[in-house]
Amino acid sequence: MSAVIDNVADIALRRRSGRWWSAFAVSGALLVLLIGATGWLFYRGVGIWGIDWPVSWGFAIINYVWWIGIASGGTFISALFFLMETDWRTSVSRIAETMTVFAAACAGIFPILHLGRPWLFYWLFPARNTMTLWPQFRSPLLWDFFAILAYVTASVLFWYFGAIPDLAALRDRASSRRRQIIYGIFAMGFRGSGTQWRHYRAVYGTFAAIMAPLVVSVHSIVGLDFAGASTVGWHSTEFPPFFVFGALLSGLAMVLLLLLPLRWMLKLDELITSRHFDVLSRLLLMSSWLVGYAYVMDVFNVYYSGNPAEIAVFQTKLHGAYAPVYWATIVFNLLLPQLLWSARLRVNPFLIGMVSVGVIYGMWCERYSIVVMSLRRTDLVSAWGNYHGTLWDYSLLFGSIGLLLAVRYVPVVSMSDAREASEAS
Amino acid sequence: MTGLLAQFDSQHDLLRAVSRLRAQQVDIQTYTPVPLADSPTGSPLPLIALAAGLLGAAAGFGMQVYAVMIAYPQDIGGRPAFSWPSFVPIGFEIGALCAVLTAFFGFCVINRLPKLYEPIDECLAMRHALRDGWIVAVRTRDPELRGRVRELFLELGAHRIEDIPS
Repeated sequence: MSAVIDNVADIALRRRSGRWWSAFAVSGALLVLLIGATGWLFYRGVGIWGIDWPVSWGFAIINYVWWIGIASGGTFISALFFLMETDWRTSVSRIAETMTVFAAACAGIFPILHLGRPWLFYWLFPARNTMTLWPQFRSPLLWDFFAILAYVTASVLFWYFGAIPDLAALRDRASSRRRQIIYGIFAMGFRGSGTQWRHYRAVYGTFAAIMAPLVVSVHSIVGLDFAGASTVGWHSTEFPPFFVFGALLSGLAMVLLLLLPLRWMLKLDELITSRHFDVLSRLLLMSSWLVGYAYVMDVFNVYYSGNPAEIAVFQTKLHGAYAPVYWATIVFNLLLPQLLWSARLRVNPFLIGMVSVGVIYGMWCERYSIVVMSLRRTDLVSAWGNYHGTLWDYSLLFGSIGLLLAVRYVPVVSMSDAREASEAS
Repeated sequence: MTGLLAQFDSQHDLLRAVSRLRAQQVDIQTYTPVPLADSPTGSPLPLIALAAGLLGAAAGFGMQVYAVMIAYPQDIGGRPAFSWPSFVPIGFEIGALCAVLTAFFGFCVINRLPKLYEPIDECLAMRHALRDGWIVAVRTRDPELRGRVRELFLELGAHRIEDIPS
């Protein structure tokens, strides 16, 4: 086991390979695209996007909801399954948590970009001002701001706290003075003393106990962002759990999708085994059914309400101009994951990768169909409109994927957890 | 010299040494890659975090009540000003944030971190503390006690014995 631990530490310490540089080139190019598109947006304003009346929420909100859902994967795995004391989470929790931090960062930038006047974002804070104004505390959009603030802060701290023993181990193994100092500063002087471990375990458990309800609250509030408005297709009590289910589905898919190349690139076959893929695939299948239940309830509510506007919106989803988006949602989120019923396919890396990509794409389509399709068919027929993303919309979407790919710059497996598991066995 | 430490090759050996030292009423500290199997688990931090969370939630709720009822009251079609259900989400989020921050910084305060240097870091064994070394340190200025502890470490087959510089 010690050899495995050393291998993991070496990943962070050793020299860069050709594979590393080629991956770096791809993510670097996408990051440059993100920075360029953001710069152009700040210079010209949101007019470079496809948004207009009546579809005033476009890619920025779609991407935000999509990314924050993806981010949930790490929290569910590391907090919920820590509390349930599952043994398989150890070797995947660090990758999952790191993914959460980066995906939450991707999510966090979009509401700011979406503001139009991003330099006034601090108006969301209850800050003192000369007009003695307060933010609108009764608005779910403001709840969302607080939820994201709490969630991102807690995710970063949880991730950092979980990495402290590993950073300390890297400090002790590092050979160059510069690395000793850098890792030493971030390890804060953790030495593995009995007292430190005692408090460490207590605090880690506390973090997990807070993160589990926190992630559920975040996605419920994201659902309320929509349900709180009286817009056709949004105004439903079903939305909070619906968004939690969708978050779980896309989060698990992204964890699986990142595990595959990391295992290959970093040769982690001993740590990330077929058992992990099997368990995560089963969870993916289950969350696909949860999402399916939400879709069925959505249809039921539309027809049970008897509201002509609701029915009209739903009809355009089924066979309107954007029908392919709706059907992609059904195919990729509900039908494709059913392949995972087969035990043989659950451990097939190619198929897992395909299903995960499909689900992540399907979830983006779901967000698109929720945001765009409801807004373009309002109660008033005279206010109907259309929507298309522009080049800059797509640049920001793909650029944000480059930000996620920066995941690779940090140690990917929790060494201390893996050690603890091996000591226990 | 402010004490001495011994590095053992396994958790089992370390635990044996710890129980022998405890029997002699010596003040010890272990340094291990993972928490020791029979280590005590009590910590006040979860309760402190809970208290901070509840306090934060109450304060967040109170801030909203103050804002909409006292600081900037608005009558919108006679709707009740004290619409408490809409203040719950932000109250919860602020509470969770307070609990998380308290847990993290409480951990730092209670362990006196960050502490980037301690004299014990000069010992070579500490390089293995978080990897494969199972270390127990005895801090004492009493040379006679140090001698006895050293003999005990030798008897238990310590991998390495070092003095802790002052």
